[in-house]
Amino acid sequence: MSVNGAPAFHESLLEAISNAPGVSGGEEAVRAILAEYARDKVDSLEVDPMGSLVARIEPATRRGRSGRRNGARGSGAKKGPHVMLCAHMDEVGLMVTAVEKEGRLRFRRVGGIDPRILPGQVFRLGIEGTRAVVGALPPHLVPRTERDKVTAADDLYLDIGARSREEAEERVPVGSYAVFDTTYEAWGTTRKGKAFDDRAGCAVLASLIQRRPPVPVTAVWSVQEEVGLRGAAAAARRVQPDLAIVLEGTASGESPGAPPDEQYPYMGRGPALTVQDRSLMVHARLLDAIEDTARRHRVPTQWKRPGVGGTDAGRIAISGSGVPSAVVSVVCRYIHAPAAFLDVRDAQRAVTLVWHTLETLRKEWP
Amino acid sequence: MSPRTSHLDSLLPALSEAYGPPGREAGIRAALKRAIRGLGPAGEDALGNVHLHIPGKGARLLLTAHMDAPGVIVTRVDSSGLVRLSILGPMAAADWIGAVVSLNGSGGRASRAGGGGPSKEKSASLGVVGWDRPKDMKDSREIEPEALYLETGLGTKQAVRRIAVGAVGAIQDRAEKLGDLWCGGNLDNRAGCAVLVAALQGARGLRNDLHVVFSAQSDLGARGAATSAFGIDPDVAVVLDVAFVGESKGGDIALGKGPCLGLKEEGFLPHPAALDLAKRAAKAAGVPHQWLIRESGGSDARAVRAARSGVPTALVAIPARKTGGPRVLVNANDLEQTVKLVRGIVTTPYTGEKGSR
Repeated sequence: MSVNGAPAFHESLLEAISNAPGVSGGEEAVRAILAEYARDKVDSLEVDPMGSLVARIEPATRRGRSGRRNGARGSGAKKGPHVMLCAHMDEVGLMVTAVEKEGRLRFRRVGGIDPRILPGQVFRLGIEGTRAVVGALPPHLVPRTERDKVTAADDLYLDIGARSREEAEERVPVGSYAVFDTTYEAWGTTRKGKAFDDRAGCAVLASLIQRRPPVPVTAVWSVQEEVGLRGAAAAARRVQPDLAIVLEGTASGESPGAPPDEQYPYMGRGPALTVQDRSLMVHARLLDAIEDTARRHRVPTQWKRPGVGGTDAGRIAISGSGVPSAVVSVVCRYIHAPAAFLDVRDAQRAVTLVWHTLETLRKEWP
Repeated sequence: MSPRTSHLDSLLPALSEAYGPPGREAGIRAALKRAIRGLGPAGEDALGNVHLHIPGKGARLLLTAHMDAPGVIVTRVDSSGLVRLSILGPMAAADWIGAVVSLNGSGGRASRAGGGGPSKEKSASLGVVGWDRPKDMKDSREIEPEALYLETGLGTKQAVRRIAVGAVGAIQDRAEKLGDLWCGGNLDNRAGCAVLVAALQGARGLRNDLHVVFSAQSDLGARGAATSAFGIDPDVAVVLDVAFVGESKGGDIALGKGPCLGLKEEGFLPHPAALDLAKRAAKAAGVPHQWLIRESGGSDARAVRAARSGVPTALVAIPARKTGGPRVLVNANDLEQTVKLVRGIVTTPYTGEKGSR
């Protein structure tokens, strides 16, 4: 299938990986789904020592194809730059750190979760998906003076309904990960699910390799982004690409009551382009190429808010002797929270924009 | 003063004036390429560092000075037409007040008419940095970046049309000479750049295989220096930067007492052999020096020192003084002395063992 000359966004894959658990350091379930999907589409596929899934896919040979034969001039034909496309598999979640004698599970947060959203949430533990609730006192029992206060994450616990340490340990070993218990749903063009940061990017990347790309591509589904951009840093040193584009699910700025100029980017208005964040100044010429491509192919885009956040691109950009890097994001509401939203049209636009950007780079990147 | 070092009188203002905030160094890159023309083959890498190689026998010596200057980035244009900013680099929000800022320089971006989204059209704009003064000045001790704005005089309608999110600004300022002092908004680290160029122009009898890097994105965490040092893989490196009065513990630095040799900064201790190279060069050239020991803050030295399997690295810093506003001061005699020191370093053979890192 093709949309605007680019591969179609693979939505059923987004659904599968959004529902799968994959807290930083425990990405196996997501990786297995992506590996199964990618296996017959790429030239090589490996899991690197950090756990990132790395696939190499060569461009289609131009010779013999109908239409224009861009750059195909004998064996020395210009293949275009080697582009690393990267999206991180991991999501924020919890890790069980201790079991108390009453059967309660103590936990630590993995990645940036706001403690204000935790009390009362339902989580799924481990690969088996044992359900647990973050215990909270009912309002009847909360003293008046405490009602407006947020309970510190360290004072919260996961409850699986066990009554003793033995019973709890049997079902949930210490070290188990917990993810939000959220199931993917379609509401009009809106999609609701957990972990769209960055399963949205993972699915955009997967959609891009349905066809042989215009340039040599190494697809990296990275690990441990949420705990310090670790997987991509290691992968970049192995892959040594000429360029990198990181695919992200980024935070919408929409917030009731805020002045309009503070609310961008918006869900549903196209992929967000980054100029700068805490980890990266986007390479000016690469950004120009993406903007030009968006204009030529009439893909609506918007800016991501400068000065906040950071992505794998920050580490890729400074790996080795440097890699020009950029970030293209699907704008999501409510990331790092139980249920995020995205507009499935934005996901398709991201696929379309990156696909055509690769074509631009083949022709224009030295 | 040797006649050659008077180059600084024209070099320093010219380099100071060039647009080059972190990650958008095209202007200063062009100015530096002009300034080093004829010294050797110069190139540019993935992060935009300028790299000059002057081949020679001996150890592979890397000399670096960062070329990026303080920057701001536009986060939005508010309903009253004021341009809201985020700061690129370590310059305090308070120090930006009163700065005249050039958005985009030669290679920036502005939005298309009527739209806040990405676009090709690019135009430069000027503005002055102000801040939302609290009604009660007792609340004004800590100035947050969110309180800064850029007044462009364009009016709300035009500002929204012409100033895009992501436009990058730099201080528009020339270096001016006041007695023995130079005063300017971009002297950290255009002073180091000018000194390095002046030293190379007058250097005769190189005793090392010399690689010179004017590094990019230093103010964002030594990003350019890290990748340069990785690519060049030097035997020894000397980083040239500025250090501010008040930063050095246990005996502060002062203007007019010569360049500083770094003994410690955050994440960096010099390698004894590299420090020895700088000390021998200073002694041979008769250059007085001061010691720099700073507990927080730093230069590119940390990134260069830790590149690959480690690079013996020394830090030379030009003493500078903050004014509490966008401009900083350096002493012209310190610059001349630093030129002599750098010239001494490139003409002194490095005797450290390879591999003793």
